This record gives sequence, C-alpha cells and structure tokens, in this order.
Amino acid sequence: MNDRRDGEDKTDAAAEKRRRKHRTRVLNAAELEFDRNSGGFVTLTVRGEEPERYERINAFRTFPLSAADQYISLRDREGDEIGIVESLEDLTPAQAAVLRDELDRRYFTPLIERVESLKEEFGYSYWTVDTGAGRRRFTVQSGKNNVTMVGSGRLVIVDVDGNRFEVADYTRLDRSVLRTLEGLL
Amino acid sequence: MNAEVPAPIKERLSAAGIAERDILHAVGSDLCLDGRYGEDWAVATPDSLHVVSAGGIDSLALDRIGPVQVESLVSGGLLTAGRREPDAADADGAGSPDETERLLLRFSNSRARQFGAFAGAVAALQKGDEPPAAEALREQTCPTCGLRYPDQERAVCPRCIDKRGLFARVLGYLRPYRRLAAVIAVTMLAATALKTVTPLLSGRVLFDDVLAPAGRYHGHVLPLVLLIVAVTAAGVAAQMLYQRLNARVSVQMVYDLKSQIFTALQRLSLGFFARKQTGGLMVRVNHDSMNLSMFFIDGLPFFVVNLVQIVAIVAVMVALEPVLALLLLLPAPAVVLIVKRVFPKLWRLFGRQHRSLAILNGVVDDSLSGVRVVKAFGQEQQEIERFTPANDEVRGAELRTQRTLATLFPSVAFLTQIGGLIVWAAGGWQVIGGSLTLGVLITFATYSALLYEPMRFMTMVVEWWSMAMNSAHRIFEVVDSVPEVAERTDPVALPHMHGAVELRGVTFAYEPNKPVLHEIDLTVDSGEVLGLVGHTGAGKSTLINLITRLYDTDSGRVLIDGIDVRDLRIADLRRQVGIILQDPYLFDGTAAENLAYGRPDATHAQIVAAAKAAFAHDFITRLPDGYDTRVGPRGHGLSGGERQRLSIARAVLIDPRILILDEATSSVDSETEEMIQLALERLIRGRTTIAIAHRLSTLRMAHRLAVLEKGRLVEQGTHDELEAAGGIYATLVRKQRDALEVIGVGAQR
Repeated sequence: MNDRRDGEDKTDAAAEKRRRKHRTRVLNAAELEFDRNSGGFVTLTVRGEEPERYERINAFRTFPLSAADQYISLRDREGDEIGIVESLEDLTPAQAAVLRDELDRRYFTPLIERVESLKEEFGYSYWTVDTGAGRRRFTVQSGKNNVTMVGSGRLVIVDVDGNRFEVADYTRLDRSVLRTLEGLL
Repeated sequence: MNAEVPAPIKERLSAAGIAERDILHAVGSDLCLDGRYGEDWAVATPDSLHVVSAGGIDSLALDRIGPVQVESLVSGGLLTAGRREPDAADADGAGSPDETERLLLRFSNSRARQFGAFAGAVAALQKGDEPPAAEALREQTCPTCGLRYPDQERAVCPRCIDKRGLFARVLGYLRPYRRLAAVIAVTMLAATALKTVTPLLSGRVLFDDVLAPAGRYHGHVLPLVLLIVAVTAAGVAAQMLYQRLNARVSVQMVYDLKSQIFTALQRLSLGFFARKQTGGLMVRVNHDSMNLSMFFIDGLPFFVVNLVQIVAIVAVMVALEPVLALLLLLPAPAVVLIVKRVFPKLWRLFGRQHRSLAILNGVVDDSLSGVRVVKAFGQEQQEIERFTPANDEVRGAELRTQRTLATLFPSVAFLTQIGGLIVWAAGGWQVIGGSLTLGVLITFATYSALLYEPMRFMTMVVEWWSMAMNSAHRIFEVVDSVPEVAERTDPVALPHMHGAVELRGVTFAYEPNKPVLHEIDLTVDSGEVLGLVGHTGAGKSTLINLITRLYDTDSGRVLIDGIDVRDLRIADLRRQVGIILQDPYLFDGTAAENLAYGRPDATHAQIVAAAKAAFAHDFITRLPDGYDTRVGPRGHGLSGGERQRLSIARAVLIDPRILILDEATSSVDSETEEMIQLALERLIRGRTTIAIAHRLSTLRMAHRLAVLEKGRLVEQGTHDELEAAGGIYATLVRKQRDALEVIGVGAQR
C-alpha cells in the first residue's frame, strides 16, 4: 500500500492520524504524569521526545468486570483515544490513585458489605444495604438480568435507575437473604 | 424551583447571605464528590450558582463560568461548568473569566432527571432565556406506604395497588355474560350441596336408619342406595354443567382481554415500544392473559366451591355433634400453618429446577443456532464443555426436587389424615360408650377427608390471587396507556400536501439528559431532494422519526406546508409520507400483500406497475408462485437487494408527496445497486425527498446536503460547495473514495 500512496500521504498529517487510530498505542507508564486540576478534572502529560499535554482526560475501563485495573483507555476531551495503560500496577501508587479515583467516578459501583434486608414482591426486589459508600436503599426489577453473576460468587446488580452495585461473594450473605436472592438470579 | 431545599441547607445558605426568596432553582444530590452517599446541593440565584457541600459553600457568578451542563457517566453523572472563552465584556476591566472547566457536583442515576432539568434551567438563566417549563421532578414515592415507586415514570406502588379495585374491574369483563354467570353460581352451589349431603346418606342414614334394627327405615337398603346414586349423579351432572359453562365464559373473557390488549398496543406510539422490550410485551399479551385465565378457569371457581364446601360441612357437623366437630377441626390451624411453611420450599426447588432447565435450553439453543460459527472456528469441544456444567446443574436441581417431593407429599398427606384419626379415636370411644351412633362416626370420617383436601388449596389461593391481580394490573397498564403521539381533537386536514418541510429549533432526547438533536433549523422546499449525511449516531434517523411524527419534539417545531405536524390529521400525514427503511421488514404474506401493505385496495395492475417502477417485477415473476409467493420470515427467502426493491415498490404504490429514504449501509452487488439506484431516481422525481445517504451516487442525486454531527446541523450546501469547503462532508467523501480505491486494488490482485 505504501508504494501507491508514496509522496501523497507522507505529508498528510490527517491521514497519518487516521491510520494511527487503527493501531493500539500502549502508553509507557514511566512517561505518564496524571494530575488533578483546580476544576477537579484529571490532566495528563505524556513525556517523551514529543511531549503531549491534555488539560482534561477521561479514563475508561475496557474490561470493567473481568479486569478492572487493566487496559485502561485514556481519551481526550473530544473522545479520541490517546492510548492504553496496560495496568494500573505499572504506575506509581500516587499516580495510580489519581487514575483509580477517576475510574471509580465513572464506573461508580459500591461494594455491598452487608445486606440488611432484601424483599421480593410483585416483580421487584427491595434492598437495604451497607456499602463502601454508605447505606443505601434501592429497587431492582426482577427477571431482566438485573442481577447477574460474574465469576464465581460475584454479583453485579443494576437497580431501576441504572445504578450499579456489587457483591464480592454472595454465598457469604445471610441464609435468609440467600434464599430470596436465589429467586432473583 | 425544582426541589424543596431542606431547612439545614437553607440555614447555611442564609448564613452565607443567600436569601431564600432569591433561590430560583435548586437540586439535591445523593452522592458527594468523594464517592460517598450524602446530600450536596446546588442552588441558582438570579446571578450566581451556589454549591453547598460538606466543605462549605462555593459561589460562582453565572457570567464568570461557562455553560452549566450535565455529563452522564456509567451509573451516575456530573454537574459541570464548562470553559468560558474571554469576550468583550471582560475587556472592560472586570478581570479575567474562569477559563477552567469545573466539576460542581456528582450524582447517581437516581437523580439524573432532576439534574438534567436543573442544568437546563441554569443554562437558560445564563443565556437570559425563559427557563424551560418545570416538570414536577420530586422523587416519586407511594403516599400510602412510603415506598419509592420502582419505576419513576409510573406512579404505581406494587404493594398498594388497589387489588380489590382491579378485581372488580376484571370481574367487569363478566358483565356481558352475567346471565351465564348466575347459572354457573347456582349450579356450583347445587353441586356443593349435593356433595355435602352424600356422606350424610351413606353414613348416618345408612347405618343408623336403614341398617340399625331400630332405625326409621330399617331394611330399605335398595331405595337408599338408589337415592345415593341419584344424589351423586345429580352432583356430578351439576359439576359438569358448571365447569362447561365456566370454561365457556372464562375463555371468552380471556379472548376479549387479549383483543383489547392487542388493539391497545397497535394504538400506542413507537416510544412505548422502544422503552419496553418487545419480548416483554409478548409476555404481557400471552403470559399475563394466561395467568388471568388460569385464575378464572381454575382458581376462582375452585375457591368458591371449596369455601362453600368447607362452610357447609362445618355447619352440618356442628349441627350433628358440636364436640366431635371441634375435635376434628383442632389440628386444622396446624395443618394450614405447616403446609404454608413447607410449600414455599417446594416452590423454591421448582423455581431452581425451572431456571437451570432454562439455562440448559439456552445453551443448547445458542449452540445449535450458531452451529455454523462453531464449525467454522472448530470449537465443538468448547460447546460440549459449556453444556456439561449446565446439564450438571439441571441434574442436581431435579434430584433435590424429586427427593423433597418423595418425602414431602406423604408427610403432608399424613398430617391431613390426623384430623380423621382423631375422629376415629374419639368417635370410636364414644360409639363404644353409646353416646354416638356408628352412622354419625362414618359421616364424620368422610367429612374429614372432604374438609382437609380443600384446605391445602386454600393456603395457595392468596398467592394465586396476588399473581393474577398483578397480571391484571400489567394488562390494564397497556390498555390504559395514552399514546404520546396523539391526534389533536380538531386536527387540520391536509389531503393534498405540497411537501414543504421545515424544522425550527428542534431538540429531542430519547432519554433525559442525552439529547440526540440540538436546535436543528432546516427547510426542504417542495420537490427538493435533501441528502442527510453524518456518522452513525449523528441523529439522522431521529430526525426522520420526528418528520414522520413517530415521536414528538421536546422543543421546537416540525412544519409541513407551514402546519405543525402535531396539528395535522395523522391519517393525512401517514398517507402522504412514504418511508423506505434500511432493512425493510416483510410480513408473513405474499409478495403482492407485502407490496400493497400501505394500500390494501390496490388492483393487480397497480401492483404490477409499482413493481415495474421499482425494478422488482422481473424477480417477482421468476418466483415459483409469482406475486402469490409467500415471502417474509416464514416464506421464500429474498435477498437484501430484492427486499429493498420490494420496499421501494411499496412506497411507489402509495404515491407519497414526501419521501423518506433511509439508505442501507450494507453493500449489494453493483448490478443490483444500479437497479436500486434507477428505481430510486424514478421514485424521487417530483417528490420532496429526504434521504439518509451513504452512497456517493445517492448523494449526487441530492439538490442539497445537510451534514449532522453529534446532533447538530454543521454544514449545508450542494455537493460541490461542501466538497470545496473541506469540512466534515469533504472528509466523508474522501474516505469513501479511498475505500473504493482499496476495493479496486484488491480486485487487481
């Protein structure tokens, strides 16, 4: 393909950008510097031969359920992908914390520590739970894959408003809760 | 004001010098910036926005910050103030504006609607516009029990729905059959009475009056036996009669209900179907009406019969021997209690078995439907491995259920016999003591069986009733739904359109906070061909949905010949606006029926002429049964190109003034493409046409192009003008040329 396009596209920066879009750019963790600006958003500087500066980035988990800390997609304000961070572990703890905060904000999914009450009635289940973010009551519509098992024992629950919750290991919940829960799975 | 500001927040605000009367809009969050649940507030006064959080009150002058907006995240959202570019006002020495974007508040999806409304109101304030009409956006809770409505758009509390009212309404369906219902009630009572009398005859009368030497009818065995046979036969006859009548009435009732649901569904707007899954609706039509019919055919008559029988038997027993009757009823509460406790366990087991079976069926279905993929990737082993655990699960569940059943039923049967045993023991002792006759004892023994059998049923009836009433509720919800796109009471008739289309400031969102179109202004002259261009998700199809009035705009107006489409007679609109969809759906029926779908009275000549105009005549003629060939999901498989031409012919036949064309993205071979193109060119001539176009050839046909990008109209002009302008359109065209080139290179190899 290069022979044919020779001379035409080499100078065409837009075409280069377009072609780049089809390649994964894995970012070198050592070159990244995340920070939080005064407005509360995350900024990114990519050091290197041609340093890049992004005033606001959005971070996405590409595998939010199966690998929450791996393959983080960083995107600029326009939504174009800057690159991929292979693993949060590659970053320094402080840097990882900034990025993790941002990710947790987007994928806000409190971990349910205790189910105080769970009641199923007429096609809806009513939950009162203690989560890492505090106490919460929510309602889940039954029978629409709103309570799903991901991996062994781990549950992801989506309530009627579209909020998400997680249970690390449902087999460890109270027997009475388990009994109701079983009907919801 | 959007929300009631709680007193402590008001106090903090007034302490900071913000008076309550200045508060124009307010919104409360349920999530703090640090990711913990909590209540932060944002309030707007005429010139400022104040953010109240644990950290204090942050006041921002509205003219110092950029537009206030809402950003949607996965399970929540952010209220932000955008960047503000410096402008002339800043040069007057007011200092530099706030140029950084600011994160103001965080909220969970439960508050998304409220925040969307708040952001809209504040943005209007910033622009100096009138605030949009405030909806009541308070969190909807049930006034009776305080439960938050599960579905915020439906003010229905599943706990407090008026089940009795519902029941009355369902019974209302009986009204046309009230005479039959009366006959049913009478025969039911007769059957029950006869059933109650039989043990009296075969017990007390037989032993005490006929067999006993001192009996009143001593020796008259044959007449008594004949009487018993007659009574039993009459009872059975009555039972047969009421069951037959009952089946007739309830089947007819369910039939009425189903047709009412289906009629209601057809009347509803597209938005209703987009919100509810079609599968869920099928469940409503079938499962819910089935639930109700089961309740009416089996549940309700059984309930009435059993209730009457229990009351009758108890009455007869008390009249005969009050003490023995009491003894017989002694274990009844215990039996009811135990059955009530044990049966849920059984339901759970059945439920588990049912679910595991459904999963297994899913695996089998999935694997067999995708057998081509399985074979192509050589993953047969993986499929077997997927099947095994599901199969294991079913085995385990079945085993548990069967084991429980094997112990449960005999135990329950034993329990229900205890009453009988007590009668035998106590009664037997009394018989020997001479205070009770043998006949009464035998009558009581028979009654005990008759009494405890229906009890088991009565424990389940409440649940059954609950389920049926919920089904009824869901059904009535559909029946009562008001279509969002409704005709005005005095619509404007427009039998002959010129076909001028105009959009004025059209904004639309399917879901709150996620506008798909922003303030679109667009005019299409009568007879003009407008090409709509843009990336996937730019809002092209939505625009078309609004012009055809499948949805109504949130704000702004869509005008045809200068008349708002909301004022037009819907029949006039539908008849004169033709749509050719991307992937046309063919109904189960013949080619001719599908072709004439929009005009069922078309003659053969008209159908053939339309097919000819759409280049569909030749392939239809080649089909084995010609125009009578069954097409559609269960019929003759047509290729994509053939379906498209059939759909063009459909539009030709209704001869619309305005033609909407949603061009398929999928490519067909070049000969077919050419035919489709020719057919379209012919169809478009002289009609106002709005085409979502992907192919360059279609784009060239357009007099004018409009480019949509992220819901905004960004470019407008002719093909040549836009290409010269070097904007989004030019890029799209160049990409398509590049793609064609690549295909060309491939062909040379």
